Amino acid sequence: MIVGIEEQSATAPILVARGLGRKYEGFMALGSFAVEVQAGEMIALVGPNGAGKTTFLTIAAGLLEPTSGKLEVNGAPAGSIDARRAVSYLPDTPVFYDDLSLGEHLEYVGALHGVADGGARAGQLLERLGLESWRDSMASEFSHGMRQKASIALALVRPFSILLADEPFDGLDPPSREVLFELLKEAREGGAAVVVSTHRGDVVGSADRCLALRDGRLAYDGPPDEAAIAEFFDAV
Amino acid sequence: MRSARRRRFVGQLDVMEVVYRVYVAAIFGAIVLSLIAGAVNDAHVSDHAVESLADHGPALLGIAVALAVFAGLRSGARGGPLAIEDAEVQYVLLAPIDRAAALRSSALRQLRIATLGGAVLGAVAGNFAFRRLPGSPVEWLACLAAFGAAVPLCTLGSALLASGRRLRPAVAGSIGALLVAWSLADVALGTKTSPATMLGVLATLPLQSGTVALGSALGLTIAAAAGLAGLLSLGGLSLEAARRRATLTAQLRFSASVQDLRAVVLLRRQLASESPRRRPWVRLRDPALGSRPIWRRGWQSILRWPAARLGRVLAVGAVAGLLAAATWSGTTPLIALAGIALLIAALDLVEPLAQEVDHPLRRDLVPVRPASLIQQHLVAPVATMSVVTLFGTLTAVALGSAATAAGVGAVMIVPTAFVLLCCAALSATNDPYAYLLVPQIGYMQTALPIVVAMIAVAAPVLAARAAADSGGSAVGAAALVEAVLLGVAAIMAAWLGQRVAGRTVVKP
Repeated sequence: MIVGIEEQSATAPILVARGLGRKYEGFMALGSFAVEVQAGEMIALVGPNGAGKTTFLTIAAGLLEPTSGKLEVNGAPAGSIDARRAVSYLPDTPVFYDDLSLGEHLEYVGALHGVADGGARAGQLLERLGLESWRDSMASEFSHGMRQKASIALALVRPFSILLADEPFDGLDPPSREVLFELLKEAREGGAAVVVSTHRGDVVGSADRCLALRDGRLAYDGPPDEAAIAEFFDAV
Repeated sequence: MRSARRRRFVGQLDVMEVVYRVYVAAIFGAIVLSLIAGAVNDAHVSDHAVESLADHGPALLGIAVALAVFAGLRSGARGGPLAIEDAEVQYVLLAPIDRAAALRSSALRQLRIATLGGAVLGAVAGNFAFRRLPGSPVEWLACLAAFGAAVPLCTLGSALLASGRRLRPAVAGSIGALLVAWSLADVALGTKTSPATMLGVLATLPLQSGTVALGSALGLTIAAAAGLAGLLSLGGLSLEAARRRATLTAQLRFSASVQDLRAVVLLRRQLASESPRRRPWVRLRDPALGSRPIWRRGWQSILRWPAARLGRVLAVGAVAGLLAAATWSGTTPLIALAGIALLIAALDLVEPLAQEVDHPLRRDLVPVRPASLIQQHLVAPVATMSVVTLFGTLTAVALGSAATAAGVGAVMIVPTAFVLLCCAALSATNDPYAYLLVPQIGYMQTALPIVVAMIAVAAPVLAARAAADSGGSAVGAAALVEAVLLGVAAIMAAWLGQRVAGRTVVKP
């Protein structure tokens, strides 16, 4: 399911950000941010509200343009057609068409990404997320948690080299959180990089690496060492 | 999948509802057309007027076209004119497919609707033009329909081009301003060199001859090229701007559907990124109006207006003057547009009052009677609106009989500004959800300020014209009407106060 991995050398990073910055009228949301993300790496992105987590993820997804620096995915600039092929973005607020059922959404997104057997993968995801009986329902009419699960299915139904997930555990019940955990692990085991923005300690603990942001700057980049993270949050 | 979405949309439509809407629109359209037809004087205009129209008309129309292109370029620099669904951005535009191909159908649809609508409007105008001007009906219908189609084509094309090429607002604005300046130079020098003026030549083609007429073909070609260039640069659209626009446009459509004019004004400002200035044009000194905090607050709001709003409101004043001058010379229906244009300016001016209505709790916690608070909020806007109506008067003086225009305008400046502000305040204090179950009353509530504004501008001008035609005093007739209008404004101001006082949240 994962594309692009076979084309990369073992050490080539999937995502490279150098001097990345984003300013809004007089306010710096992200400043001089530099990071490299390797294939098969699971990264927890932490930080207080307004630290710049979503700004970084949306720049990496190609939805937001940086005001300084550059970000490349698989060697292609963020937002380019090659980068879009590699990046799957799971937004913090699920987005749906008002006039498509969940099944039609999955079919459409799969087709846009050239998935030939989208039906099988979609069925599997719906079953695991407990959405199989909602396939023909209108996604825009779902409850908050259901919308989140549907959005997860849409992010995972297509191939990707890197998954950028913004607060994906929000609004999920405990069993669904477990399923999402498993799905993220499977994506990592499949060779994709996974970057998850989160406030949850258990997610941070299971990551390979933790990036902590504060006031738009990288304050910590290292293993998810509990003491270091606790120290960081205490300082915040 | 798109066809499935279209099928579902069509399937959800209530056929009877659609038929009813078409029926109501047809009746309304027929009434408006017959009213305009009745109001337009069928008498042929003088040879001198025809000559003047042939000489100066293209350049004046060119200014309007240039202003439309200017607005299109500014809109494009902020991500317009396409309004793409959030989901379309998330799933289609982030997919590894050609963005230009994905956006082409919606861009073509928008161009098609706009050019067709423009052509129909142009043909309607042509239907009135041939009755007063030399030239055959076919000539006027064809050239005005072509002009009507070309204007949205070049406006939308410029917007798509600015959006696709990601022109910065300052660059897009500068290009638009250059085009407007070129058209203004055409007016001043009596030339027909600007592409916008060439489209103006197209609109007056039956009056043109020789090489000048050839300019219309060039204008039309440039408009088509702008449309084509816009379509070819679609893929460069900024997703950031598209997402922002998608959210605001959805809210704007909803607000328009419930006739919430106040929300429409606010959302339109957000769409245009029209934020108040961080530093006011003039900082009020501490003691200034210290004993009148509500007046002071009003001036502070106006002194923070961005340049674009300031320019727009003054331009509206000038356009109203132009329309009044055209009405004076015989094209009566145009005065209705002057009233609507000035009401739009007044809606911008009434901001401090509207914010009190938006935040009732904050308003009610102030130790001032709500009625008095609202009425005091009219002072700064009325004074500023008077400057707008003064601009209109100066424009009419420049275009028409100076002495009469100055006299009638001077009588109108303050009272008309007062009525227009009251109309805007009435609109801003309307509760769009009060009559959801009886929409007809809701429509009337929305229409009332518009109708009163049209009357407030039309009545003195038409009364003055009638008096002048019959050998009486134009200024005297206008003054009489303005005295009545002042009374109407006073009643409206009192009603406004009572209306807001009746909605207090904090009970004494």
